[in-house]
Amino acid sequence: MSEDLEMRAAPEEAAPAEMPYTPEQFMNAEQQMNALVENSLAKQGKEPVNALFTKLSEVSKSMSKGAIKWSRRNSLWPLQFGLACCAIELMDFGAARIDAERKGYLLFRATPRQCDVMIVAGWVTKSVVPRIKRLYEQMASPRYVLAFGECATCGGPWWESYNIVKGIDQVLPVDVYVAGCPPRPENLFAGLMKLQDKVGGKVAGDTERNISETFRRNENAGL
Amino acid sequence: MSIMRINVGPIHPSTHGVLRMVVDVDGDTIENVEPHIGFLHRGVEKLCETRMYMQNPSYFEKLDYISPMSWGDLYIGAVEQAVGIECKEAAQYARVVLIELQRIANHLLWIGTLCNDIGQLFTTFMWCFRDRAKVLKILEDVAGQRMFYVNMRVGGLNRPLPADFKDRTYELCDYLLTSVAEYEKVMDHNEIFKERLKGVGVLSSEDAIAYGVTGPVLRASGIEEDVRKSMPYYIYDKISFSLPFKSEGDCYARYRVRYEEIFQSIRIIRQVLDMMPEGDVVGQPIKLINPPAKPDTVVARRELPKGEGLIYMVPDKQKPYRLSIRAPGFVNLAVLPKLCKGEKFADLFAIFGSLDVIFGETDR
Repeated sequence: MSEDLEMRAAPEEAAPAEMPYTPEQFMNAEQQMNALVENSLAKQGKEPVNALFTKLSEVSKSMSKGAIKWSRRNSLWPLQFGLACCAIELMDFGAARIDAERKGYLLFRATPRQCDVMIVAGWVTKSVVPRIKRLYEQMASPRYVLAFGECATCGGPWWESYNIVKGIDQVLPVDVYVAGCPPRPENLFAGLMKLQDKVGGKVAGDTERNISETFRRNENAGL
Repeated sequence: MSIMRINVGPIHPSTHGVLRMVVDVDGDTIENVEPHIGFLHRGVEKLCETRMYMQNPSYFEKLDYISPMSWGDLYIGAVEQAVGIECKEAAQYARVVLIELQRIANHLLWIGTLCNDIGQLFTTFMWCFRDRAKVLKILEDVAGQRMFYVNMRVGGLNRPLPADFKDRTYELCDYLLTSVAEYEKVMDHNEIFKERLKGVGVLSSEDAIAYGVTGPVLRASGIEEDVRKSMPYYIYDKISFSLPFKSEGDCYARYRVRYEEIFQSIRIIRQVLDMMPEGDVVGQPIKLINPPAKPDTVVARRELPKGEGLIYMVPDKQKPYRLSIRAPGFVNLAVLPKLCKGEKFADLFAIFGSLDVIFGETDR
């Protein structure tokens, strides 16, 4: 792939096209155009275009802060990704008994690129950690992690096992922990509502931590 | 045509857990499938050797988290053999009801996920989970928790059955008979559903024996074998029930076997409730269990919903010295490359789904 690009790029470098204008000429042309437009608008008794756009963007920025928060908290899409027992309760959460869609948790998505929330449901073994990291990195920002159940929270009953990571928070930044073994689907619902409060700004909390910082800290600690 | 290698999983919506498959395809035809397991390995057998007998049932229930009660029953069966204590008679009846309810719950979940895998999205899934929730409600009231019950004790259960247990279970049986019969409308009367499953992934009876598969997969290949019949435990020899079996050996046969097993389980539950004696079902308190009565080794077998489960145990004082598990899912998965050879790539998950493999017990 990279070889192809170099091949294509080579002839352009060999014979650079002559610039029709210098940058200074460009600037002058732009200024003249602006002056022309402003003059013509002023003649018609209207505000200059640039000022209009500045005002518009100011208004939309102040409005969109609230609007973006509101839309984010009401359309949290979880990743369809289960590891172990808790995934069965996750399926129950998506089934008919609990109508999760009324709160904006739409259908579970199978690709991380369409998701906002990763629900880590089950015990995390050392061989699964690189896969989970990759899934998390594929998710678009802002992204949230919910540790579902004892195993994802702290290792749970497998605390003494040689192949278990003692909690997903050693690998990813976790926003909400849900306790239980496994938690009932209702507990997951409550946990996701907590996450909604956090996203909507009702609860204080840092939801935009950088993954690489967490990794570096763990790597220094020798995880 | 050249052979292309496709990597499926380990995190994929249809792998029922964490399975990686390396698939060699020639065009759209599968040449070879290589399942890679071990992503959920946490060393259960080793952990069990470091804990006392009654600390372990929880680990066994987490082996197969779709039918935990059955695994808990199997482990307690092994401990009872080691200690030399028989289960109380009333408790035997109660246990049979509970593990048959668990079998129904397991098959309901399996049908729902199979339909999702082959593209019949969510209708059957919703129905199955609706009915499974009703089964789980009864089990929850018996044991105290929704998924991991840990309610088996040496000699019986951990607490008396609820007062309305019989009535509610009768009611549930009546309900299930009508509602599960409805599934046929969207499955057996659906041409697409049948086309996706009929003649796909055929397992001959010789191969089934050679690979050592058990449970519904074996019975769908025309072999009438079930631990409940061939080596009856508890009160299964007093009950009349038949083993659904098919001779085709394809995915559809495996679906039919499990579907009909739900009705056989309902039949068993009704009979057992009719015969159930009054009496104490509570087993020994945890303190009093102090094996061994010195058997060298213990082997316990049970017919789990997914096949035959077996525990080999070398008992020692307070905790097992060595413990080994035969998980039906692990053996059934071994037949996957054989079944997939020559099938289309889109049928991979229909075949894999029809084996009913769970990775808690496969990876251990």
